[in-house]
Parts: sequence; structure tokens; C-alpha cells
Amino acid sequence: MASQQGAHGTDGATDNNTNAHDAQQPNAANTGTNPTGTGGDAMSTDASLAAKTKKNGGWKNHGPWIGLVIVIAIIAAIIIGVRVSNAHMDAKDEANASATAKTVTIGLKLAPTNLDIRNTAGSSLDQILIGNVYEGLVARNSKNEVVPAIAKSWDVSDDGLTYTFHLNKDMTFSNGDALTAEDVVWSLDELIHKQYHDADMLKNVETVGASGDDTVVLTLSKPYSELLWALTGRAGLVFDKDATYVAKTQAVGSGPYTVESFTPNDSIVLKENTKYWGAKPKTPTIVIKYYADDNAAVNALKSGAVQVLAPITAQLAEPFEKDPAKYVVEAGEGTDKYVLGMNNAKGHPTADKKVRQAIRYAIDHDELVAARGGADKTLGGPIPSLDPGYEDLTKLYPHDADKAKALLKEAGYTKEHPLKLTLTYPNTYGSEIGDQLRSQLKEVNIDVNVNVVEFSTWLQDVYTDKDYDLSLVDHNESHDFTQWSNPDYYYGYDNKDVQQLTGEALSATSDEERDEKLAKAARIVSEDAAADWLLNYRVTTAMDKGVEGFPLNMNQTYLPLWDVTYTPAK
Amino acid sequence: MTDTPNNGTTTASATGAPRGFMRRAGVVIRTMWARGTGRFALIVLGAWILVSLVSLVWTPHSIWQTNGYHVWARPSADHWLGTDGTGADVFSWLMAGSRTNLLIVVLTVLFAAAFGLLLVAMLVSRHTALAHGSVVAIDALISIPTVLIALMLAVPLGASVTVIVLACGFGYGLNLARVARPSAMLAARSMYVESARANGASAPRVFFTHIVPNIMPVLIVQCSLSAGTAVLAEAGLTYLGVGVPSGVPSWGHSLSTSVRFINIYPLTVLWPGLIVTIAVVALNLFGDALREAADPLTNPRLRGADGRRHQ
Repeated sequence: MASQQGAHGTDGATDNNTNAHDAQQPNAANTGTNPTGTGGDAMSTDASLAAKTKKNGGWKNHGPWIGLVIVIAIIAAIIIGVRVSNAHMDAKDEANASATAKTVTIGLKLAPTNLDIRNTAGSSLDQILIGNVYEGLVARNSKNEVVPAIAKSWDVSDDGLTYTFHLNKDMTFSNGDALTAEDVVWSLDELIHKQYHDADMLKNVETVGASGDDTVVLTLSKPYSELLWALTGRAGLVFDKDATYVAKTQAVGSGPYTVESFTPNDSIVLKENTKYWGAKPKTPTIVIKYYADDNAAVNALKSGAVQVLAPITAQLAEPFEKDPAKYVVEAGEGTDKYVLGMNNAKGHPTADKKVRQAIRYAIDHDELVAARGGADKTLGGPIPSLDPGYEDLTKLYPHDADKAKALLKEAGYTKEHPLKLTLTYPNTYGSEIGDQLRSQLKEVNIDVNVNVVEFSTWLQDVYTDKDYDLSLVDHNESHDFTQWSNPDYYYGYDNKDVQQLTGEALSATSDEERDEKLAKAARIVSEDAAADWLLNYRVTTAMDKGVEGFPLNMNQTYLPLWDVTYTPAK
Repeated sequence: MTDTPNNGTTTASATGAPRGFMRRAGVVIRTMWARGTGRFALIVLGAWILVSLVSLVWTPHSIWQTNGYHVWARPSADHWLGTDGTGADVFSWLMAGSRTNLLIVVLTVLFAAAFGLLLVAMLVSRHTALAHGSVVAIDALISIPTVLIALMLAVPLGASVTVIVLACGFGYGLNLARVARPSAMLAARSMYVESARANGASAPRVFFTHIVPNIMPVLIVQCSLSAGTAVLAEAGLTYLGVGVPSGVPSWGHSLSTSVRFINIYPLTVLWPGLIVTIAVVALNLFGDALREAADPLTNPRLRGADGRRHQ
């Protein structure tokens, strides 16, 4: 789940503080003229009041002018400051203006708090480290398919229980140590035994063994069709057995880049790994800057402080789109599913399938997408296009307000006795989408009370306690269909057929079989209206025209940078 | 010593007192109207109240009418100030927001005044332990920022108008008490209070007939400052997510939903920002003007209008 926009709060807080102080000061000054202690009796009320009026009057005569002068001075200072910093940047850009730049600066949104990828959750770490600093046994391409990385090829036994990986030769880590099968075995064993992050993805793995320096063999207790894909993520990362380093601030991996410096919540500098065993990365230095504030990010791209910005909302990208001579704006595919969760558990109005179907018919998905700038796609079921088992299910529940009203009537709700529901969702998604849903559902006589909460509150109330009617959250994980086969998940969706099919898909021995079973299960989930899938969020990336090779698909979870180049305009 | 606040009112006939009050109020408003700043404040506040009332029965568009295909539209004949990120009418939202803000301002000021007066009563209490203790307590509590109080209150209460009213009322009440203390002390030690006490007047009676009228000018200015700051606090706290809940129209809501797009749609930020600014300026000027107009010491017309009251 994405959590965003943390730093907005601080700005407002300071503003408010100053206001409170401003309000205090003038009065404090006024009362200061009144001796409070002894002698109070001797001083006439008249005189003190008169003194106060006089004082106030005096200030009033000068006040506006002094204020005006101060305001002008501040504005002048800001303008000078902006000029100076822009000039500084222009100078820097010119120095680099020969062919491809040696440095590319990239603006991202969610910053990692530390670099310890084995213990710290959060997609921002996967995004920046996997494929750049650390490498997995296998990797994924821009279509979310498994491709070779440290292993150049692999064989799977017919029963799906033995995986044999053939490693590349002469691989090294950034510290010069050789990367052999021993390191791979050690990394996977450590992950499983120390239960590092994502260890549960390898729960079917029974043994991890090496034969020689360049072959690794995994045996499974039962077939697991998701194993290879799992190994493209954190579960498959290979670490140096003999290296010692502080994992929170340093990184020793076998990828094309090393971490030159890391400033929490601000920036990361990646430098070319001179000992890299594969092809040289195209740009020697990559600077990652994190902008929690959207406006700061936009200004950074405008001023040239960054060459790439990802993500940017479609609306904020508009000015860049209108300037194709200088910028390129493109949306990439992703696996973000905006799920309108409906509580399927008994005792909730949404336990009634007719109610859930009515809600799906009532929602105009095209309008939701249009309001967000049109970059996203509609999504009719739980599996997005980049995941196995995808099928276009958007025709199952087309927008049809009359059908929705009819279904609600059957369920016992009319205009006089409207259905009342509460929609609880984290404030990171903004109030617009909630307002729109309320407005759309209002048309079919469903009264929605929108409750926008902190992400932590959502986690507690909805995710953990399952105390909700409707919920909205962005499930951005890839390959996460199994949540529908878990009746204890917060949806409360319990369908034996789906569970059966998911189980079969997971233990399938061929990809075709897996995809077919998943597609079948996904169709049942969607037909049951277990939830509504509002849209498939697509990440919009805005970049300088001279930038090439920047990944667009899924770049919020996986961002290999070896191919990125930047040729500044003359 | 002058101006013994008239004990006469208590013996005045039942019909005489309200009529006197009405007449005085008329004089005060006329005096304020005669000055530029006062007139400005009166016009703005009058318009505010009027718009709030009208918004209860009519807005150009329903605030719940969204249109995903028509978001962030420029001002047009149909949408006078354009539309917001959901395609709803900005002007209607601002109109509807004015009543929420009015409610917040009134409740905050009432709460702050009541709480502040309670504290003043403690400060001028003849129990020295209570009086001294409350000085220390107020000085300590005043160091807690209003925002922090609001954030803490939002944990059990969630985002709501109550959070704003309680947090701001508490903070401004403390402020009011601290600022009003010198005048209150002055009055509490005066001879007329002493004589009233000697005549057997109870502590509450002394407080309300002698001390409160003496701190009235300070009270008025403080309340108007509080009112202005309450509007700003609403905007700030709503931006932080602990103020007005989503779905309740308010100026802060309009500001916080549009501020992300200030680079692209600056106008949608300008309107609520402008309204907040004008309202705050008007509230502050109103307090200033009211203090000058309602105080017989600075407004000779009031002295003339009220025959029983003289220097």
C-alpha cells in the first residue's frame, strides 16, 4: 500500500504557530504599559485607558507603512534568492552540456528511512536498490516477466519440485569479492532462517544447495508456481557472505551501482560500480532526490534541478505536456488497484450480494478516471494487466443507475428508506475520490458518510478490526490475488471455489495452467461483486526531452537505472 | 476615582433596561459606521452572516453535484468561480463553507470568553493560593501550541468542529485571562470593590458588576482577535486533517483541496484564500472599532445617549 504526502503537515503547523504568536504579541505589548503590582490603586482607570488609546492610535498611523515596507522587502529578498539559485543551476547545466551528461538527477516521492532491505518494509527500498545495487537470482522485465540476472538460465523438474539455477561466471561484488553459488545459498538460507522481509514467499522451499561454483538447486515441499517471480523481489537477493557493513546506511551488492551517499528522507547518490561483472551502466552518477511535496517536485523539474519526476499526477503534469519541445510526459503500466472494499462478513448491509452488485453498477468508472486526468485505466476485476491471469472484466458491471436502483429495491432499500453506508479510507488518497463516490452513490439512493482517516487508523479499524462498510485503498502489490482466497482478510470474502482454484493455481506446474486457474477465480470474485475495482492507477512520469531509457512500467516498485541517459539540449 | 459602574441599572425598571441597551447598541453601530474601518468590518460581517443564511436554502449548484469530465474548470457563467477537483462548483462550496466558519467562530469565541472569564475570576480571587496557583498554571499552559492541543484532541475525537472549538477556545481563553489580568487586578483592588464587599456583596456579584465591565475593552479586543485567529486555525487544522472532516464544507476545506494544484490552477486557491484574508481583517477591525465605539471613555456620543452615566 502506498503511503504518501507525509511532509505536508509540517508546513501547516508552522503557519499556524506563527499566527497564534502574532495574535499574542500586540496585546502583550499593550498590557506591558500597565504597571500591574503596587500603585495600581493610585493610577486612575481613565488615565490608563487614555494611554492605551493613544498608544494604539500612534501605531495605527505608522502601521500600514511599516507593514508595507516589510512586505516589499521580503518579496524583494525572495525574488533575489530565486534569481541567484536559478543562475547557479543554469551555470551547472551549461558545464554539463557536452553530449550525454555524467550525472542524471531523478525526483521520486517516497523516501526510504534506511537502506536495510532485509529488515525494513516499504516499496521505496525495492524501487531504488533492487537491480541497481543488489541483484536477485532472477529479475523481472518491464512486462513483469521473469528474466535472467545472476542466474543465466534455470531448469524446472516436471513435478515442479526441483529448480536448478545455472549462474553466470566471474561475478563480483562491489567490494571485489567473488560471487559464487556459496553466496546464493547463504543468502537464501539466511532469509529463511532469520525470517527477513518476504521470507514467507519461500515457505515451500525445503532445501537450498550448491553443486560446484555455478549451480544452485532448490527443492520444494510442494509445487509453487509463484517461486520464480518471488525470487525477482527481495526473496531472491544475493548478498556477500564475507562482507561486513552497516546495512542501515551502506550497501554491498553485485549490481551496476553502489551507494555513494545516503541522506534519510532527502537523497541518495548512486555511483557506478567499477567492479561490475556485467555491462557498464550508461550514466556514471545518478542522484535520487525525494520530494514529499508535489509542488516542490514540479518546481524542481521546471528549474532543472531534476531531469525526471516519477510519480507526478496527471493534472500536475499538464504544463509539461503542453511544452513537448522541452518535456516528455508518459504513463506506464502498473499493478496498483484502487479497491473499493465492501465488508462481505455477516451483519453488514454489504454482505448482501444484491447490495454489492448495485454499488458496482452505480459507480461510473470512466468518470473517476477522467476526473484524475485520464491517465489511469478502468479495471473490472482483481488482477491487473501486468499480472498472471489477467482478463478484461470491465464489461461485467457497466455503469447502469437503473439496474442499481432495481437491485437495491429487491434488497429492501428505497428512496424513503435509503441504504446508509460509511466509507473509511486513508487521507493519502485525497478527499476528491470520496466526494465523487458519495455523489455517484447518492444518485441510486445510497447515503455514504465519508470518513477520511490517518493511514494508521485505517490499518487498525479496517484492516485489523474489520470494522467498516466500505473501504478504499490502493493495493499496489503485484501477484497478490491470494488475498481473495483468505477468508480472514479484511474483505471477509469466503468462497470455496475461489479458494480451491487459487490453491490449484499456486501448485500448478505450468504457467498456462496457473494463468487459466487464476483467471477463472478472478472472474468469480468479480461476478460475486466481492469488491469494486475503481481503477488501475498508472504512474505518470515527466522528464526532460533529453532523457532516455528511464523505465515507465511499475517504476514505483522496480526502477533499474543502468540504461538511463541524459543529453542536455543545446 | 471616576466611573463607578452604575448600580443604578439593577434598580431600573424592567422595560427601561432593554430599551437603554437597544439605544446604546444603536449609537455604537452608528459610531462604527461613521469610521471607514468600522464600516468595512460591518459590511463584511453582515455579508458573511447573510451568505451563511442564504446558503442554508440556496446555492447556485448543489455542493454534492460532481462531474468528473469537468474538473478544474475556469470561471464561467455557469460556474462563477470555476469547479474543483471533483467538478463541483467552487462558489457553492465557499458559500456553504461560510456557515461552517461562522459557527466555528461563534462557538470558539463563546468558549474562549467563558473559559477566560472563569480564569480571570480565579486570578482575582481573594484566596491567594488559588490566585497565585492559577497565574503559574496559565503561564505554563500558554506555552502549549494550539495546534498541538488540536492534534492531541483529534486522537479520541477524530477530525471534527469540536476539535477546533475546544483547542482554539482553550488556547485563546488562556490568552484572554493573561491579558485581562492587570485591568482585573486594578479593579479588584479599587475602593468601590472594597466598599461593595463591605456592603455584603457576594463574590460573583462583585465580579460581574464591577470587574467584568472594567475588563470589557480588553475582552472585546481579545475576542475579536480570537475570532480572526479561529478562522485561520480552521484553515490550518483542516489542512492538517484534524479540523473540519471531509464532506463538511468550509473555507479551510476548499483551501486544502486546491492547494496541491496551486501551480496549475492558482485561481482555485486564490478565492478561498482571499475570503479568509478579508474575513480575518474584518474581524480584527471589528474588534478595534467596537472597543472604541462601545467604551464611554472614547466615545462621547455614548455618554450623551445614556443620561444616567456621566464622568
